[in-house]
Amino acid sequence: MTPKNNIIIGIIVALLVIASYNVDANPIDFVEGLPNLLIILEEIVAVEPKYIPTALWAMFETIQMAFIGTVVGIAIALPLSMLAARNLNSKFVYAPIRALLAAIRTFPSILWALLFVIMVGTGTFAGVLAIIMYTIGFIAKLQYEAIETIDSDPMDAVGSIGVSKVQLISYVVIPESASHLLSQMLYMFDYNIRQTSILGLVGAGGIGFYIINYIKFFEYGKAAIFMLVVLITVLVIDWVSVKIRDKYIIKSQHGMDVPTK
Amino acid sequence: MKQIQMTTNPSFSLISTKKIIQMSDVWTSYDSKNFALEGINLSIDRGTIYSIVGQSGSGKSTLLKLMNGMMVPGKGIIKIDYVTPDMNNKKFKTMMHTIGYIPQSLGLIKNITVLDNILIGALPRLNKIQSLLKKFPENEVKEAKRILQLVGLTGKENRKVYMISGGEKRRVAIARALMQKPTILLADEIVSELDHVTAHEIMDLIIDVQKRTNLTAIMVHHDMQLALEYANRVAVIKDGKKILEIGVEGDNIVDFQTGDMTTEEIMEMYSDDTKK
Repeated sequence: MTPKNNIIIGIIVALLVIASYNVDANPIDFVEGLPNLLIILEEIVAVEPKYIPTALWAMFETIQMAFIGTVVGIAIALPLSMLAARNLNSKFVYAPIRALLAAIRTFPSILWALLFVIMVGTGTFAGVLAIIMYTIGFIAKLQYEAIETIDSDPMDAVGSIGVSKVQLISYVVIPESASHLLSQMLYMFDYNIRQTSILGLVGAGGIGFYIINYIKFFEYGKAAIFMLVVLITVLVIDWVSVKIRDKYIIKSQHGMDVPTK
Repeated sequence: MKQIQMTTNPSFSLISTKKIIQMSDVWTSYDSKNFALEGINLSIDRGTIYSIVGQSGSGKSTLLKLMNGMMVPGKGIIKIDYVTPDMNNKKFKTMMHTIGYIPQSLGLIKNITVLDNILIGALPRLNKIQSLLKKFPENEVKEAKRILQLVGLTGKENRKVYMISGGEKRRVAIARALMQKPTILLADEIVSELDHVTAHEIMDLIIDVQKRTNLTAIMVHHDMQLALEYANRVAVIKDGKKILEIGVEGDNIVDFQTGDMTTEEIMEMYSDDTKK
């Protein structure tokens, strides 16, 4: 440990203390608040099981919202990512598209939701629109980066046949970047389910709408049941997407290392 | 010249002339100081096999890229069937459809099947709707399967490219080029990493196709022995300059560049070159 490192660590610790004081982040409050969890636990046990079907239905609605948002978002993001890739376009094409995508990404999904609640009113549609916007910004960026890293040799070889740019994209770029895309789609869907679960906080539908309302009326037990459903669903979806990834993506990537004759 | 006067279609007369590729005082550079090629002159007859031999970095691959329009020379004139190779030239872009190019890395698409890779050679012949729907007409699929058989890949059409061996990958790359119905085939070190037997199998295959279709094949090689065995003419490139152009006539190796070197002198020069 050099003196220089000690100074850096000292500065970080000092900043941590000052910032915590400023934002009133007191660890003692956290410890003192722990027994409150017991109250919630007691309330969960006391909640009647009749709320579980409602919670499951709300979760199902959330999943559907995430599904629409992911599919539509990806459908819009893909052509944008083709335009934003540096190895396929001139600067005059990719630069403005990249700027647009960067602007879309600056808003977190909850701010998009707030905007769409103002535009189309409260409800699930505002949430779906918010997820679409977030997916566009995110997937387009990941995808144009994936396109830029694909092997240039197949592009050169097929390009030398004198094919059109659309043919080059559909016959070389998409197949070559497909394994990345599948992995990103799964990740995005997974992530969008978690995001959609909180969009209800601003009135944009989904299971979050129930959670925020129960909390407002101090019905912590009911809120906790709904939160538990979110937790279990996210875990299940996470597990499923890991399985899919193992089966289709990892296999195809490893398959490339076949020994030559 | 007689042929030009006899026909009313000038493009026909140009196609029927003997020289298919001509380079005159061609210079290229990657930056302002280092030249990749210096004053290259060569002319290649239609329907022959022309080999380019040289060490790594001598400029052999650059020569091929100049021939298919992927690079343009800094100075000098190149004509492929009397058209200047340039991807932005519409006339040449159409010619590219029938110039098969096999880069050293082969440039295959790994995640799709052998058959789909071969069909790529037919892409310029598809109309917009077929191309968009990825639907190749029946006759093209049939042709691809015929070529598949010709290159000895029957039964492997549905394998993904990452699942096949190095020798088989080369056959796929050749098949894709043949699918273009090429008049010119450019192959960059297509057998350099293969064992002796496989290398000869691949070369025999190319010669067989070349004889059947009167193709002009320009092949870059590392190995002079192999080049002399298969080519009508061999150009030796060293540090971006063409130092020798030779061919085999009977038992002799003939110097076509200056015309005054004997077989022994050429062999001596060649062995000196490989020692270095």
